[in-house]
Amino acid sequence: MNSNRFLLWWDRVIAMTVKELKQLFRDPVLLAIIVYFFTADVYLAGEGIKLNLHNASVMVIDHDHSAASRELIYRFRPPYFDLKGEISGKKEAENLLNKGKVLAVLDIPEHFQRNLLRGKQVAVQLQVDTSDTVLGTLATSYAAQITADFGQDFAMQELGPVTGQTDNLPVIEDRHRVLYNPNQIDGWFMSISELLTVITILSMLLPAAAAVREKERGTIEQLAVSPLTPLQILLPKVIAMSLVILLGTAVCLFLIIIPAFHLPVKGSIPLFFAVTALYVFATSGIGLFIATASRTLGQVTMLVVLLMMPILLLSGVWTPPEAMPQGLRWAMTFSPLYYLTEMSYAILLKGADMYILKDLLLGLTLLGIAFFSFGVWRFRRQFG
Amino acid sequence: MNLSRVWAVAYKEWREVLRDRLFFTMAFVLPLCIFLVLGWGISFDVEKIPFAVLDQDRTAMSRDFLHRFIDSRYFNYKGDVRSEREFDALLAHSDIRFAIVIPPKFQERLLAGQSTSVQSLIDGVFPYRGQVTRSYVSGIIANFNRQSLAGYLTGARGLSQEQALSRVAPVLLEPRYLYNQALRSQWSMASGLMMLVLMVTPPFLTALGVVREKENGSIYNIYASTISRSEFILGKFLPYLLISCLNILVLWWVVMNVFGTPFKGDPLFYYAASVIYVICTAGVGLLVSLLVQTQVAAITLTMVISFVPAMLYSGLLVPIESMEPGTRFEAHLFPTLYYLRISWGSFLKGLGWAELWFEVAALMLYAVILWVVGYLNFHKRPRR
Repeated sequence: MNSNRFLLWWDRVIAMTVKELKQLFRDPVLLAIIVYFFTADVYLAGEGIKLNLHNASVMVIDHDHSAASRELIYRFRPPYFDLKGEISGKKEAENLLNKGKVLAVLDIPEHFQRNLLRGKQVAVQLQVDTSDTVLGTLATSYAAQITADFGQDFAMQELGPVTGQTDNLPVIEDRHRVLYNPNQIDGWFMSISELLTVITILSMLLPAAAAVREKERGTIEQLAVSPLTPLQILLPKVIAMSLVILLGTAVCLFLIIIPAFHLPVKGSIPLFFAVTALYVFATSGIGLFIATASRTLGQVTMLVVLLMMPILLLSGVWTPPEAMPQGLRWAMTFSPLYYLTEMSYAILLKGADMYILKDLLLGLTLLGIAFFSFGVWRFRRQFG
Repeated sequence: MNLSRVWAVAYKEWREVLRDRLFFTMAFVLPLCIFLVLGWGISFDVEKIPFAVLDQDRTAMSRDFLHRFIDSRYFNYKGDVRSEREFDALLAHSDIRFAIVIPPKFQERLLAGQSTSVQSLIDGVFPYRGQVTRSYVSGIIANFNRQSLAGYLTGARGLSQEQALSRVAPVLLEPRYLYNQALRSQWSMASGLMMLVLMVTPPFLTALGVVREKENGSIYNIYASTISRSEFILGKFLPYLLISCLNILVLWWVVMNVFGTPFKGDPLFYYAASVIYVICTAGVGLLVSLLVQTQVAAITLTMVISFVPAMLYSGLLVPIESMEPGTRFEAHLFPTLYYLRISWGSFLKGLGWAELWFEVAALMLYAVILWVVGYLNFHKRPRR
């Protein structure tokens, strides 16, 4: 008897889930949005956003015109720098920098070579346009590296005959290994971050849209008189939309991110999908709350856009937690996207397992239960 | 063109905006929200990098070396580990972003005038942060080496400390950071975000204003009335222009007072250029409103066609210099690139009409084209 009732309960949920799926597949606008987000949007973000120094234009004021100055100048080469030629004076340099025609101007003083040979320390000036701090920082650090290498080579040449090889000098060799993304491909980071943003938007938008559409068309009254409980109305919407989002995630991961950016998946893909499913469930609670707060689809979309902002800010995608002010860092505990971001990078790029991520998993689960119960409670109150 | 009709439409529109509370809030709150979220959320300052240490030497010299990291404001010391294997979990869980290993016999070898090596592991998930971390590490090591070598040379060759130092590092690079001396990424971000927010919100408002009438069906009143299409378009647009002009001032205030960015240019010039830019981007909204029938579609389409050029083709996140020639050409087809130059030019570089007239002319041309195309395609007798 009891099991019969249980089966009936689930039968109804399944029937409603099928109904939600059918309804979604008959809505060309929403479908187009979903397809665009999971394919083109992620691809554009991964392909488009590059925070690398690549052929930055440099010009030179060479007051010395010696072999040494030429040697230094020729070290500013692609892929980082693109030497655009020589200019005569500061005035021209200022003008070009103002207009953004060059990123940096290298200024080599008079008697550069003579002073070098005499063993005097020489300063070379680099004027950098830092209105774009990313470019400015990278250009300065590469230029510093280039001049330091030049200086070291020069010094070694001078000291060489006496002291011999570097082996016999008290220096530390800098052996660094960049882990997880050794070639520094921006596409790996950007495409995953965009995918997570897309998942967040859709897992709020889709359940909310499905619920509000019933309100808009008045079909909610039909549901109210049917033998369905509020949970049986809500759960199918969440289940159906979660299925669609997980399918979209799979398409995005296997057909866009992995083939286009050659992402090597280090960890377990099932674990990634399990975490995503948990996350979608958590955020759909926010979606249900949005549905109770609005009357039309237009309002739903606006609220989603509005709520996306704090969630994104506190996710740690662009600014890692350690770089945040203390208050915001504390607030991050309440942003579900923070947990998903940490875990996704950890699983996909760092190869972390469940054991390492246990506290994050627990946090997301608790947050999910809280959000979902809140959404259901609001809906019940309005509905009943 | 009958001005009293234009005025009537504008007044009606203004009342509508005032009475739709959600829309009204969105008109002022959304731009501010996007602004604050991205302004605080995207920080490219790499500081307080959490790191851990494996010191296999444990001597005075190794501690001295490590203190160069521990005392730096760029690094945040998280503790010692006992074996290299412990790093894996710490790095995978993002507890640390960087790890350093000091080999045994570190002090012994250096004192004997032999080279040694230090291994560092850097989290490269976000390539830009990884690169900057690497350059900090190299900088600290290079600095240590210079002192160590100089000390060695004073002993071995009887040079004075100063002579030895200039022998070891014959060339110094003196960077001069123009326009943003402290390299604060928030200055560039905040002034650059004016471009992004003013690209997204004016079309958003304009498109919704027209599409709302389409969705409600009230546009048929317009079709049937004596008002001409130019009067209607102008009347529709005026209230949104007013809102956007106020928003420019609000955002400007935020850039200067919340983010502390200096304004070095000509305020009148910047305001005029911003209004032209807003007219231009609102034209994008007009075009969107011609294409779609529902508010949801209008919001989504506006988001897509305004966010993509603002994020990818403006030079804010992806420097124009780093683009491939094809993409660079595309970037010049969007208004965002020109306005970003105006924004950075006005805030950080202190430029005005003399240097930026071309960018303003480009925006004007853009605005004229968009509005003429919009006007020609708006018909009072819809063809279906």
